[in-house]
Amino acid sequence: MSRFFATGSDSESEESSSGDEITSKAPGTNFKQSLLLSDDEEDTKRVVRSAKDKRFEELTNLIKTIRNAMKIRDMSKCLEEFEQLCRAFLKSKNIVDKEGVPQFYIRLLADLEDYLNQLWEDKEGKKKMNKNNAKALSTLRQKIRKYNRDFETEIAAYKENPQESADEEEEKEQEDSGSSSESEDDGGEEVSAKSFLKKKPEGPSEASKFLKGAKGSGDESSSSDDDDDDDEDWGGDTEESGSESSDDEEGKSKSLATAFLKKAGTDKGSIKKVEKKKKQKKERAGELQEGEGDDEDGPWEKVKGGVPLVKEKPKMFAKGTEINIPVVVKKLNEILQARGKKGTDRAAQIELLHALAIIAGENNLGQGILVKIKFNIIASLYDYNPNLAAFMKADMWKKCLDCIDELLDILFENNNIFIGENIAEDSENLNISDQQPFRVRGCVLTLVERMDEEFTKIMQNTDPHSQEYVDNLKDEGRVCGIIDRLLSYLENKGSTEEICRVYLRRIMHTYYKFDYKAHRRSLGLQGETKSEQDQEESEGEDSAVIMDRLCKFIYAKDRTDRIRTCAILCHIYHHALHSRWYQARDLMLMSHLQDNIQHADPPVQILYNRTMVQLGICAFRQGMIKDAHNALLDIQSSGRAKELLGQGLLMRNMQERNAEQEKIEKRRQVPFHMHINLELLECVYLVSAMLLEIPYMAAHEFDARRRMISKQFHHQLRVGERQPLLGPPESMREHVVAASKAMKMGDWRTCHSFIINEKMNSKVWDLFPETQRVREMLVRKIQEESLRTYLFTYSSVYDSISMQTLSEMFELEIPTVHSIISKMIINEELMASLDQPTQTVVMHRTEPTSLQNMALQLAEKLGSLVENNERIFDLKQGVYGGYFNRDQKGGYQQKQPYQRDQKGGYQQKQGGYQRGGYRNQNQSNY
Amino acid sequence: MATRKESSSSPSAPMASTGGTLDSPVKQIQIEGLVVLKIIKHYQEEGQGSEVVQGVLLGLVVEDRLEITNCFPFPQHTEDDADFDEVQYQMEMMRSLRHVNIDHLHVGWYQSTFYGSFVSRALLDSQFSYQHAIEESVVLIYDPIKTAQGSLSLKAYRLTPKLMEICKEKDFTPEGLKKASVGFENMFEEVPIVIKNSHLISVLLWDLEDKSTVSDKHELLNLSSSNHLEKSLQLLMDRVDDLNQDIVKYNTYSRNLSKQQQQKHQYLQRRQQENVQRQSRGEPPLPEEDLTKLFKPPLPPPRMDTLLIAGQVNNYCQNVKEFTSQNLGKLFMAEALQGHN
Repeated sequence: MSRFFATGSDSESEESSSGDEITSKAPGTNFKQSLLLSDDEEDTKRVVRSAKDKRFEELTNLIKTIRNAMKIRDMSKCLEEFEQLCRAFLKSKNIVDKEGVPQFYIRLLADLEDYLNQLWEDKEGKKKMNKNNAKALSTLRQKIRKYNRDFETEIAAYKENPQESADEEEEKEQEDSGSSSESEDDGGEEVSAKSFLKKKPEGPSEASKFLKGAKGSGDESSSSDDDDDDDEDWGGDTEESGSESSDDEEGKSKSLATAFLKKAGTDKGSIKKVEKKKKQKKERAGELQEGEGDDEDGPWEKVKGGVPLVKEKPKMFAKGTEINIPVVVKKLNEILQARGKKGTDRAAQIELLHALAIIAGENNLGQGILVKIKFNIIASLYDYNPNLAAFMKADMWKKCLDCIDELLDILFENNNIFIGENIAEDSENLNISDQQPFRVRGCVLTLVERMDEEFTKIMQNTDPHSQEYVDNLKDEGRVCGIIDRLLSYLENKGSTEEICRVYLRRIMHTYYKFDYKAHRRSLGLQGETKSEQDQEESEGEDSAVIMDRLCKFIYAKDRTDRIRTCAILCHIYHHALHSRWYQARDLMLMSHLQDNIQHADPPVQILYNRTMVQLGICAFRQGMIKDAHNALLDIQSSGRAKELLGQGLLMRNMQERNAEQEKIEKRRQVPFHMHINLELLECVYLVSAMLLEIPYMAAHEFDARRRMISKQFHHQLRVGERQPLLGPPESMREHVVAASKAMKMGDWRTCHSFIINEKMNSKVWDLFPETQRVREMLVRKIQEESLRTYLFTYSSVYDSISMQTLSEMFELEIPTVHSIISKMIINEELMASLDQPTQTVVMHRTEPTSLQNMALQLAEKLGSLVENNERIFDLKQGVYGGYFNRDQKGGYQQKQPYQRDQKGGYQQKQGGYQRGGYRNQNQSNY
Repeated sequence: MATRKESSSSPSAPMASTGGTLDSPVKQIQIEGLVVLKIIKHYQEEGQGSEVVQGVLLGLVVEDRLEITNCFPFPQHTEDDADFDEVQYQMEMMRSLRHVNIDHLHVGWYQSTFYGSFVSRALLDSQFSYQHAIEESVVLIYDPIKTAQGSLSLKAYRLTPKLMEICKEKDFTPEGLKKASVGFENMFEEVPIVIKNSHLISVLLWDLEDKSTVSDKHELLNLSSSNHLEKSLQLLMDRVDDLNQDIVKYNTYSRNLSKQQQQKHQYLQRRQQENVQRQSRGEPPLPEEDLTKLFKPPLPPPRMDTLLIAGQVNNYCQNVKEFTSQNLGKLFMAEALQGHN
């Protein structure tokens, strides 16, 4: 009976505007505060209900006035009101969409049309009308005809339905008698209430356990009051299912009315939520309260223990219902059906699922059902954010982590649970009694992957310089923990594919982290206390070993190209990060990734770029300047390193991409803690470019065709030159430029002081794990390259130079100097010979003077000038006759080598002074 | 100095295409020593490096001889006085000079040069406007670097009448230049210069020369050459580059032109065939169409700049040639001296 009363109050609230409603509710709410469902929800519900009512009230009021106007035959008023009504109806479209067109509205439309037709037929009456009225009548008639076309079916249905029309007549009588003050809606509702009354007893069987439960609970006098409200709360969902099934049984004549009534009843729940959205303020307030409510929930349940939980059961299931697996599954499905629908309150859904889980746990329904519910809780947590861009709130995130942890706990404890995506809903086995293992549909791996993505999203959306970021980052440990647990779970149970996927996740969380433990251990071999070593060793295997194991498994077993590619890249990155240059390089070369990476999807390309950069930095640390330069060239030369590494968007692209693209690009960004320091990157690049370019420039000073090794480096040099006033260097770039200038003069000491000093240490060099070693390498390189530069630049000044002096000048050992000079002589970069007894370098003085160089350049230019001129001449002749032209050209070309020969001869006479560049060029000409 | 004047005024370059023979109103230029000194002084004070100084020449025409008796410099421009009125200044200057009884007739202008790079569009334009307004006017080019090497370098140039005509019509197309048969050799004519001093000044100079030490004249014998040559070569190279570019431009132009000619030809042929067919069918021939609209000829690149560059290159070459021949002579002399010792 309580159920009955509950619905009664429901319709009551619809009728009355607000006042008595509150009073009728008041006791209920008081009780509820002591219950699981906080009264906040109740509050919002009430607000919402009245909001919905407001729309309908508006409509009914308008209808009332129209009816009045109809009675006094005031057509112009009628028209006016009708237009208003249409507008009001449009406004309440949202609600109408939900529930269908309200019956009273249809009724009015039908009546109005009939009425107008009557008037239209009544010629005499028409004559009597004044002009305005007559005009209004004709317009209104046209309008309603047009308008009613949209509602044809409803109106037809209404006209066929005798009961409704009877009610209608009744109503009319009432109105005629003068009691028009009462809204017809009231009448309608009364009728509906009546039919409802009638209906309920008719189909008690189908109105389900629910009703039974309600009755049952009614008997339980102790909590009957609470139950009223609770029933009502959950009524929305249950009633829906109940009514749907009951429809079939009831007479067709009533079906329409009942359907409508049901809808009105059931929709309240969902409409509330729609309304909520509209009133954002309220919603926010509501949410806040809900949040608080949630917080209160957790601890509260625990404190109360079993007793209050028993009381809660009726929220889902009426009191006394035997809670068994099918019931719970059914309930679960009910809840899930609302998922993804427009009006579903996602927070409430999560709550419901939680409650369900607790109930299931309470009733010892077995782990199978619990796992299933957990799956759904996590899924709805993910669903909480409607769009892909938004990230999880902190509390949701925590909840999600907890849930997954619990789920894994269950899975670990119970070996007999089979989960899989491919298990169909039908073949699930949740029964506890069976000896068979549980079979549950769902995939932990997907959930964990999703969780990982959510984590990335959270990190992407947090300000990296805030404490919040650090706090969020602390969760990484948990994420890794979960992945580790899943990994060990899947290693036993999962398919190879799944293992590959989870391995990749693990790799993704490992590859960018520098393994300080292993690093220290490797250093420790040289002389740290043994106890410490032992302690460290016991802590776990090296990340290198893990990476190796995981990656090799993927290489062997993976069938999707993408996972393997990612694994390779991560593996290389990890190698490079730990200065295992040769392994990293070999892996990169063997994988042939460079050939086809441009076909990969952007995230993989970003990973590739990161790997290349790391590889370059690694090469630099190992002193392989050329390799470092080559690896970094692609990324640095574009000037878009930031974008290519997924570490930020470039502003200048704003016009080129629209908002949509920007969103996509934002999603690709690498979280801050994985960033590669861009300044370090640029510095490494510039320094390696400097070490390559400066000697090269010195060697090819007069070469007209010399090519730049690094455009970017030259750009920096030019920027430096353009400075009107040269102060002491401030930024990293200025340091490098200043160092380059010093190196050009062969002044390695100044160069060294510019590259390695306090400022640069703090900015760049200290970021390397083996700072000292890198710096030593760098000094050595600077010395060597400065020596080379010095020899290139000033060899023309010397007749001979003692190696001893050079060794002192550049603080290099004599053998090193010897080897550098020998190399230069072999490469024909330096025209000199070594005099062994005196340990001197004897210059051959074959370098052309600058004037000679200039003359050579001029000769070259004149050559091209003549060539161009000849071409014009050819063209001129070509207009008149092509035949001669060709002949002449041939002749000219034959002449050409002769000239060149002469030039070559001249050069040869000079004694092979020309450098590689010239020679090559000559060869290419032949 | 007076002894050196004749050597500098001898027309050595083909740039001056036999100054006197043309029907030019000026056959000789006579410069007062004062003007030379004033020009030198002006450069010393204001010009540095590649900066150029300019000024106005005053004097009068006597028969076919232009006598330059005085000059004054143009003030250096600075950004501050953008509204400075040059013409006003010149008129003012001339009026003032007239008051002190100095020749005040405008007969041309002078300009310093940097390694002989003066053949430019700006010079052409201003000399054209001078010569347009005052028929007899000349431009004096003063080369301070050569002068510093020991021999005064002062040259007077005028535009040839042919070039004047072209400039007047502003027809710089290849065809126009071809018709006028103007090459880089005959753009400018050099007018012989005579430096004339009053007898009193000559006497003073003789006196001074006796007193001057030998070391004052040593700069003439300086053997170092590479610096000057390098600089000249550098400039020459730049010009050659420019010339190269221009040639390439012209090349594309002529290629485009011939391509279009071909298209036009084809079009005409097709049309003719069609007309023949129509005639045989008894239909009226196709209406005439404006071919120039259908085939717009490509814009020919102006050739004047190329000419100027060529002239400049020629000028550099002459300079280098002159310089090297002098230097070779000096070197041989030095060798002989060395051997003698």
